[in-house]
Amino acid sequence: MKKFTLVLSLLFLGSMSWAQSSSDTCIDASTATAITSAGLYSVDIIDGTDVPDPLCAANGIGADNGEWFRFIPAATDYYIVSTDSDILTQNSGKDTRVHIYSGSCGSLSCVAGDDDSGGGFTSKVGFNANAGETYYIAWDDRWDDTNFDFEISVSVPPPSPPVTFTNLSVNATGSDRGVVDMNNDHLDDLVSVTSTNININYQLETGGFDSVNITTSEADFTPSWSLAAGDIDGNGYNDLLYGGTQGVTFMYANSDGTTFTEVSGTEYVFSQRSNFIDINDDGNLDAFVCHDIAPNVYYINDGSGNLTFYQGASPIVPKGLGTHASGGNYGTVWVDYDNDRDMDLFIAKCRGGSVTHKWNELWQNDGTGTYTNVADGAGYYASNFPGEGHNNSSNLGDPVQTWSSAWADFDNDGDMDVYVGASSTADGGHKLMRNNGDGTFSDITAGSGVVGAPFGIENSPADFDNDGYVDILTNGSVLFNNGDGTFYLLSDSMPPSGPIGDVNNDGFLDVFNGSVRINNAESGNNWLKVTTVGTTSNKNGIGARVEINTPGLGTQIRDVRSGEGFRYMSTMNTHFGIGTDTSITSVTIYWPSGTVDVITNPAINSSLNVVEGETLSLEQSIVDDLILYPNPTKDILNLNATYGFEDAVYTVFDMNGRRVMNNRFSSNVIDVTSLSAGNYILRIMHDGVMASQKFIKK
Amino acid sequence: MFYRTARLLWAFIPIVLLSCSEDDNYIPVEEPDLISPVVFDMASVPYQTLSEYNFFEGPMADLEPVYGVLPYDLINPLFSDYAKKKRFIWMPSDLQARYTTDHSVFNFPLGTVLIKNFYYDNVLPEGRTRILETRVMINKPEGWVFANYVWNDDQSEAVFDLNGSFLPLEWEEDGMVKSVNYRIPAGPECHTCHKIGEVPIPVGLKPQNLNMILNYDDGSMNQLEKFINMGYLADELPESIRTMVAWDDESASLKDRARSYLDINCAHCHQDEAHCAYRPVRFNFDESANDTKIGVCVEPDTDLGNGLSHIISPSNHQRSVMYFRLNTNDEAVRMPLLGRTIIHQEGVDLIYDFINSLETNCQ
Repeated sequence: MKKFTLVLSLLFLGSMSWAQSSSDTCIDASTATAITSAGLYSVDIIDGTDVPDPLCAANGIGADNGEWFRFIPAATDYYIVSTDSDILTQNSGKDTRVHIYSGSCGSLSCVAGDDDSGGGFTSKVGFNANAGETYYIAWDDRWDDTNFDFEISVSVPPPSPPVTFTNLSVNATGSDRGVVDMNNDHLDDLVSVTSTNININYQLETGGFDSVNITTSEADFTPSWSLAAGDIDGNGYNDLLYGGTQGVTFMYANSDGTTFTEVSGTEYVFSQRSNFIDINDDGNLDAFVCHDIAPNVYYINDGSGNLTFYQGASPIVPKGLGTHASGGNYGTVWVDYDNDRDMDLFIAKCRGGSVTHKWNELWQNDGTGTYTNVADGAGYYASNFPGEGHNNSSNLGDPVQTWSSAWADFDNDGDMDVYVGASSTADGGHKLMRNNGDGTFSDITAGSGVVGAPFGIENSPADFDNDGYVDILTNGSVLFNNGDGTFYLLSDSMPPSGPIGDVNNDGFLDVFNGSVRINNAESGNNWLKVTTVGTTSNKNGIGARVEINTPGLGTQIRDVRSGEGFRYMSTMNTHFGIGTDTSITSVTIYWPSGTVDVITNPAINSSLNVVEGETLSLEQSIVDDLILYPNPTKDILNLNATYGFEDAVYTVFDMNGRRVMNNRFSSNVIDVTSLSAGNYILRIMHDGVMASQKFIKK
Repeated sequence: MFYRTARLLWAFIPIVLLSCSEDDNYIPVEEPDLISPVVFDMASVPYQTLSEYNFFEGPMADLEPVYGVLPYDLINPLFSDYAKKKRFIWMPSDLQARYTTDHSVFNFPLGTVLIKNFYYDNVLPEGRTRILETRVMINKPEGWVFANYVWNDDQSEAVFDLNGSFLPLEWEEDGMVKSVNYRIPAGPECHTCHKIGEVPIPVGLKPQNLNMILNYDDGSMNQLEKFINMGYLADELPESIRTMVAWDDESASLKDRARSYLDINCAHCHQDEAHCAYRPVRFNFDESANDTKIGVCVEPDTDLGNGLSHIISPSNHQRSVMYFRLNTNDEAVRMPLLGRTIIHQEGVDLIYDFINSLETNCQ
């Protein structure tokens, strides 16, 4: 329970308490003798009728009574209010909670509050107070109404955290699950759900929210385990996926987003993390759901918004997407880990016992919609599906018990790294794995500062201080990225687990759960948000890689994702902090279709909305000495060029412009056996240059 | 204490036998003449319908077992949304189960069939008894297999179905109308609770949970003795068996009742090699005498908020994760994970009393 690590510079230890006694109400306290300085004070019993409100401390409602003190400090200082039983041993076994306000009775504002930061269940909290200003210190009986002493002391203020958050109450009903744009204005809205209602707090351009309840038919399954959002039918309004214990419900938004039509699957699914993603790269958004106790399931979109259920291997996905017979699938992130411009699938896995389905998996997309597990650490896939090419070449095969893992380019070297946040110590602790850029990962946990992070089920990436280095929201704490491959952990006053987005459009990321935790944006760093509207690709641009370059920080990358962390749906607007950089050289968007958009010199501290294909693309050129042979070909294309193909990505389009293959070169040979006969265009992309040439498949 | 109880039971049994033999009208059954009429073909089971096994005589819904289909009961059953259960076991002739430990499922021979019928009485509007499903486990050469038979509305037949389904119903119990959206499990749901590692196993049939007197058609008898008499169990039991108390037996200690309740409702996931073995708690009866194993003063891996400080915070149910998870229907946090959609109020009350009876100081 002890989280407080301040060293007190001044301590008033004494058995005598001061004369000021508590009042039953704020009003009574407002005329009672005020406390003006440090000292020891007492509460006899909490029986006052004025229950402290609003709540400034954790752990919600449940108090019936309160006791109030007025505090008018004689000197401006940093004050500690404490019942800490480690120091005030007379409080041993007590369970206190305190709220500290400024303002006047009836219109109080929270200054600070605490429930359990002292020893046992006692309280301890610090705050800055100005000389002569009136504060109220209010205790409630959330847990205990018996007598206790508390101490006010003066202390050295703690170092300022890089960002703080302020509680903002919102008018929401149901389980708080999403921060995502629901009405097509590129502003993040708040989504809360019950089985018969979708509550949306639409973010207003002028600030604040419009809370709207949309009644639905009773969903067979509720998003107890996860919510995902995506525009299945491309009508501009996001649809929702509820991942429940015994199945999956889809909620389709109508043409103006004002009603939802419920479609519940008949198939049994013990849902965990869900995602929207274009699995087979046909431009239509598909859905994916982790199955806790069986092979994963997915729903393929026919282009008209009709979804077909599949589980395990299928004609669409020949080797499936995590097919262990016993499941163990908890948290998925679709991520282009190998920078070949298609989305791969990481599965955070968990299960008790000496079993093979607790080993994390990484399914590499070969660019044609066939996925292979390259984190087969237990060898389960190699033995049960021999000949399919599964291996542990990535080095991410690991039995660590994780419900979700945070993927981001933590070191800004151009590829996605991963924080594997453990849920328990049973099979090893947290791990930080650095992407080596060659399809392998190295364990850089030692000395990285992640070891002390809390255990739990939620790990999500977000740059909260906009310094250009992605942080990690992990179970009520934040791992702040130092920018040098190390992190430092802040646990006090950080947001709880919840969906992440920008709910006041100030370019700083906020969190929603119970209330909104508004980012106070102390860093003042600059930022950019990029919103993606697909045309050939799916409407949300899910699966796009967004890359920005700024003069100081260099390159940063994001993937447009629907569904990360474990339970919540965080914004699909990509967000970049750019620190003190004052300009952005370029923004490049690699769409799932193969289209590339480049925007140069966009404004900082703004949202950049990009419609697929609307900008001038990368400069196209035909490399004079690029020769494909044989051409026509039956099976193999050899490339003979002085041009270096190392790290280049090739894409094959059919004559309708549809992407049919995509990969990085491993040699100067491309196997096109799988293509049907016809004319194609081969495009090679490397270092901002693209070259294209036609060929014929016989 | 458990030893003493067990000794008493064992001491009692010969007396029962003696009194039977003194009955002038008693005619010993000629066992060799009895052959079980159950239809069992190892290669063909599980069958597509329940009737094919011929487990029952007369109207099937009466659940009157044929010879060889032996009723049994558990000292502590899993809470399943207040559904009632009738359990039976059948074995091929000349084969016997073997004892291993008090807390281990008997080592059953191939061909053993466990039959568990789920039903409610006073189902509205008619107020009739409605059998919902019959879950069957069969010990086959490849291991225990699950089968589930869903009963039709006129209660004449039950058909194999492992896809999972729901059946909303209302029933009257103790003068109150209760309702449930009853869950008939899918195959993987069965496996989630019935496994060690990835190997399927039965849960309830352990000496510690069977060592009790049961009323049979021909009189009452200790179940284990009955199993032995039936030829279903080798006559090699230890002199005493460490036996659970019934969780609702108010003459037993709170701790023993709580441990017994936790064993049958929680240990199938929270023991070594089980679904949630990565969590710090162990609720199996053979380990749960140790307070730390059941979470006393143990901080949870997952912070659920709400001021929940420990799995069990002594004398403080409102700070205890165990109470919180048992006392909610929110499927994201409720426990047990499967098999329950409504709160088992009597069980919650027991855990409430147990937690508030603890006086350990966690510091």
